[in-house]
Amino acid sequence: MPSSFGEVTTEVQLKAAYLVNFLKYVEFPGNRTSVTLCLFGRDSVGPYLARYEGRQIAGRELHIRKVSSPEQLADCQELFIPDTEESRVPAVLRWVGKQAILTVSDSETFIRDGGVISLVRAEGRLQFEVSPEALGRANLKASSQMLRLARQSSGGAR
Amino acid sequence: MNRAPLWLAILAALSPCSQAATDNLDELNLEDLVKTDITSVSRKSQSLADVPAAAFVISAEDIRRSGAQSLPDVLRMAPGIEVAQIDNGRYAVTARGFNGRFANKLQVLIDGRSIYHPLFAGVMWELDPIPLDDIERIEIIRGAGGVMWGANAVNGLINIISKHSRTQGGAAVNVTAGSKGTGDVYARIGQSSSDSTTWKLSVQGRHIEPSKLDDQSGKSTDRLNNAVLDLRLDHDIGGGRDLSIWANATRSRINDNWNANPTFSPSGALSLSAISPLQELHNESLVGRYRWLSDSGIESSLQASFTRSGIEISNFITESRNTTDVDYQGRYAIGRHDILWGLNYRSSSDEIETNEPYIAMAGRSYTQSNTGIFIHDDWTLIPEHLKFGAGVRADQTSANGTNYSTNATLLWTPSRTDSAWLKYSQAPRTSARAERDVSIIAGVAVVPSGFGFNMPVFTYANGNPHFGPEKAQGVEIGYRKQFSSYVSADLSAYRYRYTHLRTGNMVGQFACNAAFGPLYDPARCSYFGLAGLPVMFIDTLTSNGLAGWSDGVELSAEWMVAPNWRLQLSYAWNRLSMDGSSNPGIDADAEITERATPRHYGSLRSQWNITTSQQFDLWLRSTSGFDRQKLVDLVPNASRSITYDHVPGYVTLDLRYAYRVNKDLEFALIGRNLLNSQHIEYISDFIPTAATSISPTWMLNTRWTF
Repeated sequence: MPSSFGEVTTEVQLKAAYLVNFLKYVEFPGNRTSVTLCLFGRDSVGPYLARYEGRQIAGRELHIRKVSSPEQLADCQELFIPDTEESRVPAVLRWVGKQAILTVSDSETFIRDGGVISLVRAEGRLQFEVSPEALGRANLKASSQMLRLARQSSGGAR
Repeated sequence: MNRAPLWLAILAALSPCSQAATDNLDELNLEDLVKTDITSVSRKSQSLADVPAAAFVISAEDIRRSGAQSLPDVLRMAPGIEVAQIDNGRYAVTARGFNGRFANKLQVLIDGRSIYHPLFAGVMWELDPIPLDDIERIEIIRGAGGVMWGANAVNGLINIISKHSRTQGGAAVNVTAGSKGTGDVYARIGQSSSDSTTWKLSVQGRHIEPSKLDDQSGKSTDRLNNAVLDLRLDHDIGGGRDLSIWANATRSRINDNWNANPTFSPSGALSLSAISPLQELHNESLVGRYRWLSDSGIESSLQASFTRSGIEISNFITESRNTTDVDYQGRYAIGRHDILWGLNYRSSSDEIETNEPYIAMAGRSYTQSNTGIFIHDDWTLIPEHLKFGAGVRADQTSANGTNYSTNATLLWTPSRTDSAWLKYSQAPRTSARAERDVSIIAGVAVVPSGFGFNMPVFTYANGNPHFGPEKAQGVEIGYRKQFSSYVSADLSAYRYRYTHLRTGNMVGQFACNAAFGPLYDPARCSYFGLAGLPVMFIDTLTSNGLAGWSDGVELSAEWMVAPNWRLQLSYAWNRLSMDGSSNPGIDADAEITERATPRHYGSLRSQWNITTSQQFDLWLRSTSGFDRQKLVDLVPNASRSITYDHVPGYVTLDLRYAYRVNKDLEFALIGRNLLNSQHIEYISDFIPTAATSISPTWMLNTRWTF
């Protein structure tokens, strides 16, 4: 099936699908019945995520929220920072601190800046890189299947 | 060209299952996602759902696929931006009305550096400020943006963001050659000398052979020779600190064509012949920016720039200028507040020589300085749904005293796919050096003298040292909706009130022949070399006397017809209603201003990825016509009523077909202005200039990276 309909897909739809999918492969602390995906700043995936709102993802109800300041991050499990906000990545990662939040961005320097997952465009496909150090700092566990599918990270964490 | 097979092919590409299929993305797991090919048209950076202003983003891909070779041609795709080409290099560009060769209500920044010229007020578009290939994206905010962007962002802001040098490693050569002697060469090298330090150097040269004069009398003199060199160095220090340095040098050389050389027959009848002054512009800038993140979480950016520039128009004016600009901006998000503040100091010193009597400048040199301070807060009233923003700025200027800009916005997002906004804003435009200090012959009409001969009457426009800032304030409302994954639309409407706009008050008159008795002024007439001739002069003084309303509606919509085919529509409607006046000069200016504004602008772009290696793009664009006051009218006119030239509306088409041989080599065939054998877009509003016609151009473009 995937080969037939996977032929033409817009990048932004793929990003939205990735953001939802990551939640299936990552273990968050505590026994959660819901999971919140937070979108920072001027993102373009928001409208494409609208239809996922309230769905069951790996047995947890998905909520999607927009955030713009540190205090709003408290109940985020996943945080997406779009590349248009690249200059603010260090500040936002500082807000995240050691909270158990899976940070994701399509900014090229995201892993180097200390983020967990970076979405990269390579050979006409959208792929992802994972920083094990950042994952550890956030106290998150990713499934081995996810780590196997990740591209080899090009830059190490600082 | 027979287009039928092409359209059939496009319809065939519209397979109904492709849309339904992408909805199944939900069912995909990570394993499938990493294998999914993206052959779609990029939508990168089109992310404005939560900006409480009329905004539009042009991406690098939009620029490349437009086929445009100059920056103003790229800007045509944004609704509300009005672009009229004057000749091969010159353009009139504005947002929301008041267009002109020196349209003065639009601020333009390149990586934070303003290219708004303080002599004439406005942008010299013939100077390529940066190669188009080096632009990452262009953010366009229509409406007053004085708080964040300073004085002169009255009708809008164009924010050009260049590519990070990290993304420009390796080498690239991009060559375009085409009809009408069009040539464009771009070359770039870049390197990552370490993980955190990257640089790139690019050069671009552009040439166009002279265009045809619209009156069919032959060729114009607008041979364009432009060159630009751009260096960027970025160093990522880590911990939220980074340093960027830009060095940019640009030159432009183009002649102009003025019907401004007077000759008098023995009977005193005036005729004007063309002169072709050479205009040379240059600009060298060095910019440094340091950004850091404090322990408390305050994001700061300090930018300093030094610019040396010059204008030389042969036998007319020579200007050299040094500009220093220091800008600090801070940002702190706490609780429900996102606070931005800034401090700016700018000083610009000029030295100007003019050739009198054609143009006179009071004061050979002048230093114009501006100190600005602003604060802006975005306050989340209801998380997810309601945000309130407010800001204020004060600018202390050497010539205009203290000016204030304010804004207040409300952004309501009832759902993930809808947002509505309301905005009030107020912004000044500070006066330019030329408006205060330049005196120039602005026009000539011919009236029957009553003594059996026709008499030329010259208008002499005098600068006014007390000319103050223009003011604008208005309200805007907007709504954005994502109807589905494939259709989105953005609608905005505005009503602005302008006061203290520039106009000319008639302040006196004199004649150059003793027969006129008390009006005879031999001293001034000999200054103009016209003593004894049967001519008259009317003196006007630049003043803040004009006011009026501007109303408009702007729409942009996007439809992903298929994942590999995107359509983008934009449309703008604008109407100026200037106040009448008991002063006949100002009343006339009100009419001139209203009639010079085209009512409609429309554009439809299609981007189609035929296959992964072939792209076919089409751009249909149009505008309605407008009337331009005749600066020179040698047909005797007893009533001395204003006469106009009409610039007709037009519809035209640009095409691009690109074939990618491999990931490093691409060929493109580009056609621009294809629907008419020729059209004009503009007639000069400041010096009587022969209109040049715009005709179809075909170009072949090769892009090679290695």
